[in-house]
Amino acid sequence: MVTSRIDEWVTTTWRSVASTWGLLLEFAGIGPDVDPHTRVTFRAIADAVVPETPALAEELGPEHVAGGLAVDLDEFAITYVDDGFQFGLPHLGPQGNMPIADPIAHVLDTAALTLLERGDNEEEPSLDRALSLLGPDDPSAAKTESAVGPFAKLSRRDRLRAIAILDEFEVEFSPTDHDLLELDAGLVGQLVVGFMEMIYYSEWQGYDDFTEPPSRRNHPNDPDAVQSWRQTGFPGFANGYAALRGYVGTDDGPLGDGDAWTTIDETTGVRIRRESGSFRENDYDTGGYEEPFPVESG
Amino acid sequence: MVEDSYDAIVVGAGGDGPVTAWKLAEAGLSVLVLEAGPFHGNEQWPNPHEEPGGEASSSVEDLSGDLLDEQFTTREFEMITNLVFGPADHERGFWFRKFPGDGAILQCAGVGGTTLHYTGCHPRAYPASIDEQGHWPIEYADLLPYYREVEEMCEVTPAPVTAKEELFFRGAEAAGWDLIEDLNVTEPGYRPQPNAIKQPDGKLHVDADYDGDFTYPDVEGDSLALGNIAGNPHPRGAPFEEKAKRASNVSFVPAALRTDNVTVRPNAFVTDVLTETPRGDTPTATGVEFRDTWSGSVERVEAEVVVLAAGAIETPRLWLNADLPANDWVGRGLTIHFGDNVMGLWDPDDLEETIGKPTVDQHEGQDIAARFDYPGVGMLQTVGTAPGIGAILGFGASASGFAFQNDPADAPWDTMGRLAGGDLKRLLSDHRRMLQILVVSDDRPHQRNGVTVAPGVADEHGPIPVVNYEPSEGDRRRRDELARIAADVLREAGASHVHRSDSPPTALHVHSTMRMGKVVDEACEAYDVDRLFVADHSVLANGVGGANPTNTGQALAARTGERIVERHF
Ligand SMILES: Cc1cc2nc3c(=O)[nH]c(=O)nc-3n(C[C@H](O)[C@H](O)[C@H](O)COP(=O)(O)OP(=O)(O)OC[C@H]3O[C@@H](n4cnc5c(N)ncnc54)[C@H](O)[C@@H]3O)c2cc1C
Repeated sequence: MVTSRIDEWVTTTWRSVASTWGLLLEFAGIGPDVDPHTRVTFRAIADAVVPETPALAEELGPEHVAGGLAVDLDEFAITYVDDGFQFGLPHLGPQGNMPIADPIAHVLDTAALTLLERGDNEEEPSLDRALSLLGPDDPSAAKTESAVGPFAKLSRRDRLRAIAILDEFEVEFSPTDHDLLELDAGLVGQLVVGFMEMIYYSEWQGYDDFTEPPSRRNHPNDPDAVQSWRQTGFPGFANGYAALRGYVGTDDGPLGDGDAWTTIDETTGVRIRRESGSFRENDYDTGGYEEPFPVESG
Repeated sequence: MVEDSYDAIVVGAGGDGPVTAWKLAEAGLSVLVLEAGPFHGNEQWPNPHEEPGGEASSSVEDLSGDLLDEQFTTREFEMITNLVFGPADHERGFWFRKFPGDGAILQCAGVGGTTLHYTGCHPRAYPASIDEQGHWPIEYADLLPYYREVEEMCEVTPAPVTAKEELFFRGAEAAGWDLIEDLNVTEPGYRPQPNAIKQPDGKLHVDADYDGDFTYPDVEGDSLALGNIAGNPHPRGAPFEEKAKRASNVSFVPAALRTDNVTVRPNAFVTDVLTETPRGDTPTATGVEFRDTWSGSVERVEAEVVVLAAGAIETPRLWLNADLPANDWVGRGLTIHFGDNVMGLWDPDDLEETIGKPTVDQHEGQDIAARFDYPGVGMLQTVGTAPGIGAILGFGASASGFAFQNDPADAPWDTMGRLAGGDLKRLLSDHRRMLQILVVSDDRPHQRNGVTVAPGVADEHGPIPVVNYEPSEGDRRRRDELARIAADVLREAGASHVHRSDSPPTALHVHSTMRMGKVVDEACEAYDVDRLFVADHSVLANGVGGANPTNTGQALAARTGERIVERHF
């Protein structure tokens, strides 16, 4: 039941959005701005997935406080999902990429409404909470107020709960009446959680401009240059490490060779040895094979 | 230059296609390999993601280690974006496939195919999965000579031990498992990975106080820096064929080009298989139609034999879109090694005691260098990742919601589910003291699982693939058993916290959608179309027991190459 309501809602929303000139201009690459609703919603996503965490300062150190918003993760995420999938359909602009940030933001609102309807939210929605996500470069709170959807008003944990609801649904949204695009609601969850996390924890923030062609991108590969690397201790990308300990093997087996560097188990004689041996080309017999677990046919 | 006709056309230069191309060319046939993605490390395409570059490459002299160094930056986010299945043009997004839930299919486009991402693990199938599970019309023994040939080409050797492998081996031994030293595995136990990665330079031993550069020729072979999922150009400075990771672009493509009988045409997406049908007879393949992904122009090429090697999603998609004869098993029987992630986290003092230093440092060593085998159930492997890929693979998705919504009570893991927010930040602050184990289960082919195309949902190359995957009860139980074993091994290795993702179905290994015995015969020629062969993981009759599939896919592709020559030339 909820599924069909979401379907209907998304389809109607998409139609109404798609019929506005603004979106058409955006398709043509002329429209300058991200839709304010999309902007606030993506700030709310980034803030929930990689929040600012003052509490971690004492526990882990001051470098663990800053979150996704401090590095404009939300802005890049919008660019990334809008440029992320291409259908080569000419009316979608020269690259044929399918802009999906706006529909994603609307799907999240629907999920938020479902959460509220079920009474599964732990805190009350709040407009002020949403407005507090705005950055210094965003339009004023007064201008943005009307663009704040139900998702952005939820508390951080409730936003994650709303995202989790998406796993229950198959959402379909259709960019035009001709080319039906079905997206699983789960894909939305994957983009706003999984991809958000991958982008944040990767080297992404260190580029001067990731939208440049690969040969013109610069990356300092300095552990200090990327906020998330400072938080994970990742030392940056390296050409190599003198980290070899040897090769595992037993005293009388073929695998390891040379001196033992360390012993894994004295009774079985498994050790890490200096040199490599090789695997044994053994005879095999599968006659006694039994399925450890039941097997269904077909 | 691409000619009008060839003895054979191979569609896809991924893991397996180049193997068949090499075999055919060695036999003296002229071969055109059409690849949808770009050709990295080739003088014809100095900026493969920015300009259309040359048309085709027919000479091993075109291969350039320097260009590979430049293009394979090993920066994880950039390389994922460059390699994942999509057009070469960096301004355009991935090609879309519909996959259920919040899982995904991870495949690459480009010469080398998904082996550009792969971590080089080349075990053989479990013999019982071929001889006892009832799916295969041929025997394991039939594959043995081809395994040996592939293992030699790929320089498969026992993987080196660094801190993270020692930690795993200690845990596995303490948990009571035996060390396996065999190639043909019939009993459960742990072993080093048989990896298609040149072994590291002995200078890189921790006791050798090496302080030189990690570039060629100072070091030869692997340099023990993570980077296989991101392409892996190590050791930097090495000529193309001296790169440590023997992905198919480094192993089989040069060998194929060296015959002077092979032309590789990248940026060429095949959209149709051409056939002729003598009255009342089965159709015969006569060539293909392809579309240039930069210019959009369309060309046709003829051949005596067409070999589909576009991978287990695109090969059935192409069959279905080309309107070849209907067969109930085209696209059906998909196995993906229904997987999971179990992560261990250690206290520094405990690490000091087990491995002699306070960190695991998963970024050192080969990405995946230790494994646990369990014929009939599947396998486990340790995975080192940079934090971005680690986050999305290990924590970004779950079939059971966020960790804070679950109470695992007396399960063998302390937490389960997706991680985000403060929980994620706290956990990843310990990135250097954690180790993930990838659970890879022996899921079985079921007809409901597979690839269809939905008319109306089309991109520039026709209706897109729509994938269905729903594991069976048995598949789930095998996976749960492996997850329990993984948790036990981590605990025995001293982990203070164990987290299970309960990942949604996610496809890193994709097979058995054009199964031998169902869609193709024992030589991998289609039952319903003459002179049309399949040489990629889609012909595997099952998921080879859960072992990493590429050794078996390539062994079979080598065998298919020989069968084609015997049958038709
Ligand atoms: C992160 C990761 C790690 C992995 N590690 C391992 C490992 O250690 N060991 C292992 O055994 N396996 C591993 N795998 C899996 C392994 O890479 C694949 O199983 C293997 O590459 C499959 O080979 P294939 O030939 O079937 O398909 P692919 O390698 O995917 O090749 C198919 C090729 O066809 C091209 N193509 C597709 N459609 C068309 C078309 N219509 N026209 C022209 N070209 C087309 C594609 O661009 C691609 O290059 C890993 C996979 C991933 C994602």
